[in-house]
Amino acid sequence: MDGEELTEQETALYDRQIRVWGADAQRRLSKSHILICGMKGTVAEFCKNIVLAGVGSVTLVDDRIVTDESLSVNFLILPHENHYNGKTLAEVCCDSLKEFNHMVHVAVETGDISTFGVEFFEKFDAVIISCCSLGKKKLINQKCRKLSKRVAFYTVECRGSCGEMFVDLLDYKYSKKKLEETIECQIEYPSFEEAISVPWRALPRRVSKLYFAMRVIEQFEDVEGRNPGETTIADLPGVLKLRKELCETNSLDESQIPDALLERLLTDTREFPPVCAIIGGILGQEVIKAISGKGDPLKNFFFFDAMDGKGLIEDISGPSTRS
Amino acid sequence: MADAAPPSKSRDLDKLLLRPGNLVGPTFDPGVQVFFLSVLIFEGFGYFQLRDDLQEYARVLVVGAGGLGCELLKDLALSGFKNLEVIDMDRIEVTNLNRQFLFRLEDVGKPKAEVAAKRVMERVSGVNIVPHFCRIEDKDIEFYNDFNIIALGLDSIEARSYINAVACSFLEYDSDDNPREETMKPMVDGGTEGFKGHARVIVPGVTPCFECTIWLFPPQVKFPLCTLAETPRNAAHCIEYAHLIKWDEVHSGQAFDPDNPDHMKWVYDEAVKRAELFGIPGVTYSLTQGVVKNIIPAIASTNAIISAACTLETLKIASGCSKTLSNYLTYNGVEGLHTKVTEFVKDKDCLVCGPGVLIELDTTVTLKKFIDMLEEDPRVLMTKASITYHGKNLYMQAPPVLEEMTRSNLELPLYDLMDKIPKDVLHATGTINKDDKKSSGLRKLRVVFKGIDGVADMDMAGGA
Repeated sequence: MDGEELTEQETALYDRQIRVWGADAQRRLSKSHILICGMKGTVAEFCKNIVLAGVGSVTLVDDRIVTDESLSVNFLILPHENHYNGKTLAEVCCDSLKEFNHMVHVAVETGDISTFGVEFFEKFDAVIISCCSLGKKKLINQKCRKLSKRVAFYTVECRGSCGEMFVDLLDYKYSKKKLEETIECQIEYPSFEEAISVPWRALPRRVSKLYFAMRVIEQFEDVEGRNPGETTIADLPGVLKLRKELCETNSLDESQIPDALLERLLTDTREFPPVCAIIGGILGQEVIKAISGKGDPLKNFFFFDAMDGKGLIEDISGPSTRS
Repeated sequence: MADAAPPSKSRDLDKLLLRPGNLVGPTFDPGVQVFFLSVLIFEGFGYFQLRDDLQEYARVLVVGAGGLGCELLKDLALSGFKNLEVIDMDRIEVTNLNRQFLFRLEDVGKPKAEVAAKRVMERVSGVNIVPHFCRIEDKDIEFYNDFNIIALGLDSIEARSYINAVACSFLEYDSDDNPREETMKPMVDGGTEGFKGHARVIVPGVTPCFECTIWLFPPQVKFPLCTLAETPRNAAHCIEYAHLIKWDEVHSGQAFDPDNPDHMKWVYDEAVKRAELFGIPGVTYSLTQGVVKNIIPAIASTNAIISAACTLETLKIASGCSKTLSNYLTYNGVEGLHTKVTEFVKDKDCLVCGPGVLIELDTTVTLKKFIDMLEEDPRVLMTKASITYHGKNLYMQAPPVLEEMTRSNLELPLYDLMDKIPKDVLHATGTINKDDKKSSGLRKLRVVFKGIDGVADMDMAGGA
């Protein structure tokens, strides 16, 4: 980085966090540019965390119009009609987030970013995708990976009391201090497509059931041409049928993807505020770690289920991604 | 819809799954890191949604409107709680703004509780939040009894100790020495520092209370005077020398004010001089502030996670499914991401959440003598005690109006003031002097009068 000192204002405002990760890391954060697509509750929480942390800029993408449902989980939207009437989710969240930290540049981008050229993504240091179809996730991930610059890629989805997060930091090198020594670390990440292509039978037996369940739902929505989250209990027979097929192809026992879990994910599509806060907090932390280069990043999936309170980190990567 | 399975069945399953200590320990499988918030079985309870009546009637108090408090208020309001109150004695400062997201630069100087309440009510429709801009000790004990659940977003051991004592003071035991369920006041306590945090549930009488597990806290850093005076080894020693020793030598009579930048600069300059003398590196202005003010490093994301964990626990308590949950979660986000859940056990001799300190008295002992005894009793060590009996003020040290009104009680026998009941519970609030530290405290006292018919010996029951 170009060795600029933090301004007096930044030093005062960020004092408490500089004591956690240091001035150097803070400088790197203040020069970073983040692209965020899909402004639901979890992502709103995430945005709050990184805007407060003082990233350089945040670009929001979500052309959907504000609805009553989005109000109940997204505290960035004030429940006054004249505040949100006619505006898109991105626009309303942008107005709100600007207030949290004047030093962060918050902007809106419109359109379907999966159709944008690779150069568009070059502007960013991290890209976070939510509420996107399977096809779009893969496409955006691939575009980011084509760049010579490392662009960190994350996806996050919350359905009811469950949440899933995916991280792709490509070839990530960082150092950490252990006692008096500095240790150099390197982690290689698979792309989203590579990760979900790892044959299920190759995965350890105790892998979170949520991983499989999310893949089934994801495939179902893809095949049926649904928007993410556009499912009801009426879809259960179709989903169970798909599960059977996928399990047969993958030599996985169907009991690994319980009916009850699939039911919950189909019907309970609205986000649950405390889960949004937890996932949004963890995602915020991961992005801060990746940009500042401090701390061990998560590899590569994180699952959370408020019903049993378990949060699990799963490493879903095949041998082919290790060089 | 939320008829939980017969309690005994849930509890057995709880215990089964509360063995996460085996799964989550320092030697867990590096391929899978497990993050537990708490373990609970919901039988036939598909959702966490609060039932409508719970939203109407549940009253939750949030103590602290800082990093955790702001997040707690937001999470609780979004989760459907309609009746919240928040108490905080501080005003907003610039250094709060990196995580206390309800506050803006223009709010600096305003009371945290008031701004926080206002901002959350603006953003979430249907919730009512009453702010209290005052110290937690300024409220009557009965104020705290009004709430179903108390959620703590505090930053000191002393404050937690105080609220814990208040909540535990409501706990009553029956004649078989069992805690009475309807007097249990559950608390959810969160704490954070940098990338680390904890969330715990305290149900007085069931789980350990804050005092039962106070041994968990490492001893507060207190440098020996000889190290500061003769043999400093690090930057903090130099700073504390300037702060605690040199300041008084040079400014005798004038109290050091940590919020006065000139005072802080003076301490910094002296610390630098001393560090140079001993060849010790590392004294910076930032460190000086940190050491002198005991600054806790803090970031938004840890607060968000811990508060949400506390909110989930609050929801479980309010929906009545987790009476026996015994849960202490510690969270560490710095090396990867991991947590540990431990089931700590209540200390049956705990002076705070137990049946109370047992005091045997003659019926002739006056209230004044009783209050004086509390100073010397090694189990109490309380000075300037105010005494209440079933909500009635027997003697209040302050304010002057109340002191005057209750002064005449001092000469009366305590036995008479307690309606000539052979044994009952009193509450004493005052200054507790323990290990050279003074702090506000509250103690439950079980008084047994000797020589009354029907009280053959010292039996342990406390209820009237």
